[in-house]
Amino acid sequence: MSASAHRPAVPAADPVFAIEADDLVRSYETHTGVLRRHRLHVGAVKGITFGIRSGELFGLLGPNGAGKTTTIKMLITLLLPTSGTARVMGYDVVRETQAVRERIGYVFGGDRGLYDRVSALDNLRYFAELYGVDPAFQQRRIAELLELVGLNGREREKVEGYSRGMRQRLHIARGLLHDPQVLFLDEPSIGLDPVGARELRQTVRSLVESGKTVLLTTHYMFEADALCDRIAVINAGRIVAEGTGADLKATVANRTIVEIETFGATPDAIERLRADPEVIAVNSDQREQSEIFLVQSETGAQITSRLLAALGDTRIGKVIAREPTLEDAYVDLIATTGEPDERSARAASVQ
Amino acid sequence: MSGLNRVRPLRLVWFVTWFNVRMLLTSEFFILTTFITPLIFATLAFLLFRSGGGTAGQTLLYVALGSGMMGVWSTTLFGCGGAIAWQRWEGTLELLVNAPSRYDFILAGQTLGTVVLGFYGIVATLAWGVVLFGMPIEASFPLMLPFSLLAAVISLGALGMLIATTFVLYRHANALGNMLEYPIWLIAGLLVPISALPFWVRPLSWLVVPTWGIEAIRGAAIGARPPFGPIAMCLLLAVVYYLLARLMLVVVLAKARRDATLTLQ
Repeated sequence: MSASAHRPAVPAADPVFAIEADDLVRSYETHTGVLRRHRLHVGAVKGITFGIRSGELFGLLGPNGAGKTTTIKMLITLLLPTSGTARVMGYDVVRETQAVRERIGYVFGGDRGLYDRVSALDNLRYFAELYGVDPAFQQRRIAELLELVGLNGREREKVEGYSRGMRQRLHIARGLLHDPQVLFLDEPSIGLDPVGARELRQTVRSLVESGKTVLLTTHYMFEADALCDRIAVINAGRIVAEGTGADLKATVANRTIVEIETFGATPDAIERLRADPEVIAVNSDQREQSEIFLVQSETGAQITSRLLAALGDTRIGKVIAREPTLEDAYVDLIATTGEPDERSARAASVQ
Repeated sequence: MSGLNRVRPLRLVWFVTWFNVRMLLTSEFFILTTFITPLIFATLAFLLFRSGGGTAGQTLLYVALGSGMMGVWSTTLFGCGGAIAWQRWEGTLELLVNAPSRYDFILAGQTLGTVVLGFYGIVATLAWGVVLFGMPIEASFPLMLPFSLLAAVISLGALGMLIATTFVLYRHANALGNMLEYPIWLIAGLLVPISALPFWVRPLSWLVVPTWGIEAIRGAAIGARPPFGPIAMCLLLAVVYYLLARLMLVVVLAKARRDATLTLQ
């Protein structure tokens, strides 16, 4: 576990690892301007290395734009890495795409990726053909999956009438049609209501119990903690920490979090809090009516009165001093790592 | 991975064709374009030829088949491009490209589905001619007609597939599709005979498959000799287009993986 540059050794084509990434880099080229066009190279993934063992549920956790989806797209052969190597079940994702594709399933969060104007059953039949599921076996396999994701009885309805949760479960069924050994789930719970998200987590857990290797990306700390055997935190294209949930929490175990609810705080309020020499980090959570400052320090609750004094005339609501949670560890990692310009922007507003 | 087998090409192409026909028939816009447009083309062509004094039965049949093929060509362009653009919009394009099946088989099925629906245009035009313009239905070589139609379907499907490869790579390739619609009507002799075109246009006509498709169908319907030559040209060009499309796909898919263009809408 480290909170800085992270590069564990991953032996090449180690059969223990279902997924291996070694110094994986991906940059995009983009243009600005109309008449005078400037070419820009944007680094999305900047050299990440990790290994996921067979049967493990590994979480890749990070904020939007951290490089999670780009990493997954390289691993599932949709994108070519700019440099570095990656293998899935021992097959190279650049040169042995066919072998990789036969062994993986993937699910992207969101509404897209289904044929809306036909039924769920038609969608599954179509993809079963594309994934080479034996025709004699298709009907049974589809029935099993509909049962697994809880869509049996609704499979003849058009997908356009499905709720987001039902669509997400259909995505999972689609991703499992060819019984892949490795499953990539990219923010599968995005946009789901709490009940739908909980059902989805149960489905994911049962998949791992059945022996699948799962790479899950999410930006929900509690989800990663509830599901994953190990978690890697990715920020600005780099893995900044890796370990179990307990490992991550240990990075902030000696700290106290003072939550201060403020109303109408001026932009420089956060700077005044940071100016205190005993403050380690300050993050803010913007709510509808208020702004909550989350102040981390190692001095305990006695710093509270000094913090309130630093806020001056700002109207104060609730003030709570508490033990740090995993979410605090995550927020701290995101706010203190990454590129300097991104760091300052994130420090101003991290959820 | 029990219960799995290698993807079987013919079954896959057939299944994708069938699925694409179903998908297209759920689009009101496509139905309107495919089912109504050929009738408008046919009416305009019949009236034009009638005003020019062409009222003989064979002339009307010549016109009907040409305008029917105009509809087929429009549907091919619109359907092939539309199917890719629609899948890009729905987010299914990357799933298809990244499936373990070969993408050229998937694309072939999608294109054939479009062309098969497009051939409704020929049937509708003939019926329109009989009902409204008193056109006689006759065929010089009735047994050749199914072969001519099949050759035309296959060859147009292969051309549609070649065109569709550009749609996989570029989001706005439908501009190219629109641009190709009217010139092919003229170059392929759908509206006026190729012999009426400048001489330098003819090599272009020989390279585009609708020329041979309509030759094969007209030959079976009103020709003096069985249309073996045009049918052979249809099949030859279909092979050439298919091989070119496969080559293009290798380049296009590699570029799409490098440039991350599959998910762009």
